Amino acid sequence: MIKLTQIRKSFGRNEVLKGIDLTVEKGEVVAILGPSGSGKTTLLRCINYLEKPNEGRIVIDDFSVQCRRPDKKAIHTLRQKTAMVFQQYNLFKHKTALENVMEGLFVVKKISKDEARIRSIELLEKVGLGNKLDSYPSELSGGQQQRVGIARALALNPEVILFDEPTSALDPELVGEVLAVIRKIAKEGITMIIVTHEMGFAQDVASHVVFMDEGVIVEQGKPNELFTSPKEERTKQFLKRITPEAAYSI
Amino acid sequence: MGEPFDFHYLLDYLVKLVPTLQMTLLIVACSIVIGLGIGLVVALPQLYKIPVLRRLSQVYLSFFRGTPILIQLFLFYYGLPEILKLVYVDVSKVPALYFVILTYALHSGAYLSEMIRAAVGAVDRGQVEAAYAVGMTGFQAFTRIVLPQATAISLPVFSNLVIANLKDTSLAFSLGIMELTGKSQTLAVMSRHFVETYISLAIIYFVISYGLEKLFHLVERKLLRHERQIVSDEKPSRYRKWKQRRFALSPGFGRGGQENEA
Ligand SMILES: Nc1ncnc2c1ncn2[C@@H]1O[C@H](COP(=O)(O)OP(=O)(O)OP(=O)(O)O)[C@@H](O)[C@H]1O
Ligand SMILES: [Mg+2]
Repeated sequence: MIKLTQIRKSFGRNEVLKGIDLTVEKGEVVAILGPSGSGKTTLLRCINYLEKPNEGRIVIDDFSVQCRRPDKKAIHTLRQKTAMVFQQYNLFKHKTALENVMEGLFVVKKISKDEARIRSIELLEKVGLGNKLDSYPSELSGGQQQRVGIARALALNPEVILFDEPTSALDPELVGEVLAVIRKIAKEGITMIIVTHEMGFAQDVASHVVFMDEGVIVEQGKPNELFTSPKEERTKQFLKRITPEAAYSI
Repeated sequence: MGEPFDFHYLLDYLVKLVPTLQMTLLIVACSIVIGLGIGLVVALPQLYKIPVLRRLSQVYLSFFRGTPILIQLFLFYYGLPEILKLVYVDVSKVPALYFVILTYALHSGAYLSEMIRAAVGAVDRGQVEAAYAVGMTGFQAFTRIVLPQATAISLPVFSNLVIANLKDTSLAFSLGIMELTGKSQTLAVMSRHFVETYISLAIIYFVISYGLEKLFHLVERKLLRHERQIVSDEKPSRYRKWKQRRFALSPGFGRGGQENEA
């Protein structure tokens, strides 16, 4: 279980997160929706401390970090318990697909190289890239790169995987393959928090949907409730603007 | 003017000059290695935006890039002992070579630090974040992710700096160092065969520069092997290999190779 309490973050005078409370049960897939600039990316980045929250508390199972002044070791542990899939893939460009996945296993988890290799090959096969092990990121399409990114995140066996708009940098025809992989691992019961603009995808993969606006959670609930009968005015307006059809044409 | 041109002197001087190459290469190697250390130390405050040190490193950079190296040599050779005398350190017995290496190291260090700064900046921040997200420490992220890529990126600049340094060492003779140029001066004055001396000198500098350039180019290709592009989705490897072999064979082909492949 992941529990965020009163997460606050400001950039200078600009308060981007104004006290976020969110609980994610084990195995749940949470979709975060919201207009641009509402603080979705910042929230994800706070969860693995790529951004330092000013206040709040992050609890993952029995591990807890007080954000105001965490020690270095806590940050390191937090990062090992979480994994992130980036909008721009952020693969290590000088390493092959296989090396990208292996890197964390033997550098951070100190698993032997042979074992790391075997496990990484399995994961790359799972995301459908068993035939691209030795390709460098520059030789892969966007969709393939993002699937390597997903395999790299899975390799660490994290408590939660954070996805920040994993498909929004992709050409429309490549979105499907990445979503299919995310669907597949969602079924395996891995906890995920996904920021996405793909409404259709959120509706059928997510077990819980969160709508954010201007640094607060406006409304959250089961997908069919939130999509069909939103209670808040801001949610209604947002959903009206982004219909599933429109989302796919982005 | 000197004696009439005589081809035999040319060969003779080539043979006589080659042993002093050792001294030249010693100055180049020492000053580049020390310069890399200095460059890194100077680049860090700039990269991490450390307030006071950053100003200091900027002063250092402007001085060494803004004054001629000959002046720097004289300043260090004649000026430094005077300053050290004030704190009762006597360096009058220290050979001129040490001052020369120090000056060239500081001089190259300025350019090398710029090179390091640019190369580290060129590795995108996203990869560093990904390394953190994977659980690496700052040190691991720097050594495993940033450094290898920055090295590859900076190689063309590094190659130029080493060659520039090689050519600059010809000024060390002004402090009486018997490196290539120093030796050629004596040969020329003694025999009055000026043209032959300077032609042999030019040949040696050229051969070494050319060799270094080719060597760095080879290393660069090896380090940048990840920068390939998709030619087509099916089996591009054959075509690419053929193309690369062609590039490798054509001698005039410079660093444009990578871009041209796209
Ligand atoms: N590093 C930063 N420095 C200053 N301001 C920032 C920084 N990162 C984000 N912000 C600001 O925080 C606000 C929220 O940004 P964030 O990226 O979290 O939004 P988002 O919901 O992910 O938007 P999008 O849908 O466009 O990705 C924005 O107003 C942005 O300008
Ligand atoms: Mg965002």
